[in-house]
Amino acid sequence: MPTSDAASARLVANRVLVTLLCAGLLAAWLLPFATMSPNRLASGQTVGLSEALSAWQVIALLALSAVLAVTALRRPLPRELAHSVVLLASLGLLLITLYSLGDYAQRTLVEKSPSARVSQGSAFWVMVFCCALAAIDAFQRASSGWLLRLGYMLIAGGSVAMLFASGHFDDLSIMREYANIRDNFADQFITHLVLVGSALGPALLIGVPLGLLAHRRVRLQGTLFSVLNFFQTIPSIALFALLVAPLSALGNAFPLLGEWGVKGIGAAPAIIALVMYALLPVVRNTYAGLKGVPPATVEAARGMGMTARQVLWRVEIPLALPVMLSGLRIVTVQAIGLTVVAALIGAGGLGAFIFQGLGQYAIDLVLLGAIPTIVLAVIADFTLQMLVVLSKPAGTRR
Amino acid sequence: MIELQGLTKRYGETRVVDDISLTVEQGEFCVLIGPSGCGKSTTLKMINRLIAHSEGKILLGGEDITTLPPERLRRRIGYAIQSIGLFPHWRVADNIATVPRLLKWPASRIAERVDELLALFQLDDEGLHDKYPHQLSGGQAQRVGVARALAADPDVLLMDEPFGAVDPLTRDTLQAELARVHRQTGKTIVFVTHDMDEALRLASRVALLNAGQLVQYDRPAELLVAPANDFVRDFIGRADLGLKLLSRRRVEAYCRPAQRTRNNAIASAPITWQVDADDRPMALLGGRLGESDIARTVVNTEWTATPEMSMKEALSRMVWFRVTALPVLDGEGRLLGEVTMSGVMGHRS
Ligand SMILES: Nc1ncnc2c1ncn2[C@@H]1O[C@H](COP(=O)(O)OP(=O)(O)O)[C@@H](O)[C@H]1O
Ligand SMILES: [Mg+2]
Repeated sequence: MPTSDAASARLVANRVLVTLLCAGLLAAWLLPFATMSPNRLASGQTVGLSEALSAWQVIALLALSAVLAVTALRRPLPRELAHSVVLLASLGLLLITLYSLGDYAQRTLVEKSPSARVSQGSAFWVMVFCCALAAIDAFQRASSGWLLRLGYMLIAGGSVAMLFASGHFDDLSIMREYANIRDNFADQFITHLVLVGSALGPALLIGVPLGLLAHRRVRLQGTLFSVLNFFQTIPSIALFALLVAPLSALGNAFPLLGEWGVKGIGAAPAIIALVMYALLPVVRNTYAGLKGVPPATVEAARGMGMTARQVLWRVEIPLALPVMLSGLRIVTVQAIGLTVVAALIGAGGLGAFIFQGLGQYAIDLVLLGAIPTIVLAVIADFTLQMLVVLSKPAGTRR
Repeated sequence: MIELQGLTKRYGETRVVDDISLTVEQGEFCVLIGPSGCGKSTTLKMINRLIAHSEGKILLGGEDITTLPPERLRRRIGYAIQSIGLFPHWRVADNIATVPRLLKWPASRIAERVDELLALFQLDDEGLHDKYPHQLSGGQAQRVGVARALAADPDVLLMDEPFGAVDPLTRDTLQAELARVHRQTGKTIVFVTHDMDEALRLASRVALLNAGQLVQYDRPAELLVAPANDFVRDFIGRADLGLKLLSRRRVEAYCRPAQRTRNNAIASAPITWQVDADDRPMALLGGRLGESDIARTVVNTEWTATPEMSMKEALSRMVWFRVTALPVLDGEGRLLGEVTMSGVMGHRS
């Protein structure tokens, strides 16, 4: 951990937290918290934090910020406890920020006009961003009791979900936009997940054996890794586009393949491109994981009379698993992001809203594509990170 | 029991093991020794087919080892190596149970066997059963490695410099333990080392290798008194041949009856032990180096000998404490006899 004993001697114990706190407070003070326009077409006017929030919300924000400041500055608390306090306080701040915006939207519609539109301002984004970073930072710094901390995160996530479900945010401009496209949103969301899943499956099925092969056959390594590296250097849009022509030719030449969905545009080129991008990290991490198994352990396993298959499944794979899963983590997050681009070749997914919104200057639509993508990536990253920790054999978890 | 017939290993043109023939009898402790790179490990690994031999034959209990699938063969042969190679993701008990599990022993029998081995290596009272390898000391890990090799009760145990990486004190303990286990179990052991003292201490037969060839295969004493050529003599080390010989001998072979007295009156014999009512030696009367008068020297625990002690150590104690005799004590500290400086010279066997 970067915070050594020397760090605790300084006045500022947690510089990351101080930076985030300052950024959040500055934004809250100087930037608009929300924008309000009388109707969908009229241009909006900005609303500051003091105007948008009710008194108790401001007090709660300040109180939690004060808690964070104290924890960050003097470190009056034992380190582990401090991490828990920071986590709880930043999650609390996040919830209050979200709640306040929804609350402001509701009040505005009642007080001003029912056709008014309330959107998030830049201060809101900065505050949400800072709170999330502070929470993640606190979570990762903690070395013990992570199960409890995971519980806090889940409770916070659940609260946000419940606020959504209860309709607390329904009066926000973005949620009204959502109401318009609700069915389509669900479809595209699922399409997005299906695209990611159908890229990861083949990537693992091909990549893991290739990684094994690279480990067993030293001579193949050079060629294999240069080919995979080459895929990575092609820009994603170019790769998607490059696949359109050959696949449509294929689909036309063999109508049967065409019926199965092999076409120039749509899911087929998207999945192929995603698999090609996913291969390198999967192969590389499988290879690195296997290479990290101590040779003496493998020699002992063979000397004890394990068959090649037993050595692989009982010794090599379990010991390589954490590194292999880190590869999966990289690939999953990468695929969730790249699938956005796949919307350009008609594969659908959340990217469809982003490009549609960009075309229409409809920021809310863009956000409806972007925010779920980010949330998905963060959740996937987080889950797989947990899996990496859990997959470390008990004997090697230090 | 193990027969190597014209065993050869070639890598391209080089013969790293060159036409080695030797027989290791049942219950023998055979040590392969030689300079680094002379082919010891290669020879050992050909016995359990971790390396395939190029020419010649290996018989195990009269059977050619190539007639068995290699995995079946290896499950019948214990294998322990210097880097130990414990499975880091398995607890000590699971590590030891490796081969019994491969052989599909019933769980109860495996548990019993694990406990038995933990006891044999004196690991049972340290709560190590459920620990992971990274929680063990070097000596403990090495013991677990050897216990794992013995788990399925193989007739043959192959060991490749198993004590090469532990500190001298631990090595000493481990060697004594292995010698005890060998006496208790009667296993046939093939043991690789490059340390002559280790070889002389443990071996019942030593095979000295050089550049892939067998130079001499003999009992340790024979190797010392009748080296086949200058290479052997040089390898053993000419300078302390005598001490090496003594390191192979035990005090009991040199022990002779002691003269006792109950008071500190000047005795008739040149060396007399003053004992208490329980026959424990209290002082040595006479026998002090470099003093003409008959002196009285109080016995302390450090300058005594036990029957199991090596003569090299007994001699070292006499020199260090400047006495010409050591009392030999039994387990309760009673006087069994004495070893003397002149007695060291007298023995022949
Ligand atoms: N795979 C291999 N290819 C070529 N030479 C090898 C190979 N393995 C070992 N050797 C050579 O064989 C010789 C004997 O090795 P080894 O049996 O390990 O020696 P040691 O007596 O130190 O255990 C060494 O000179 C080594 O360089
Ligand atoms: Mg060797």
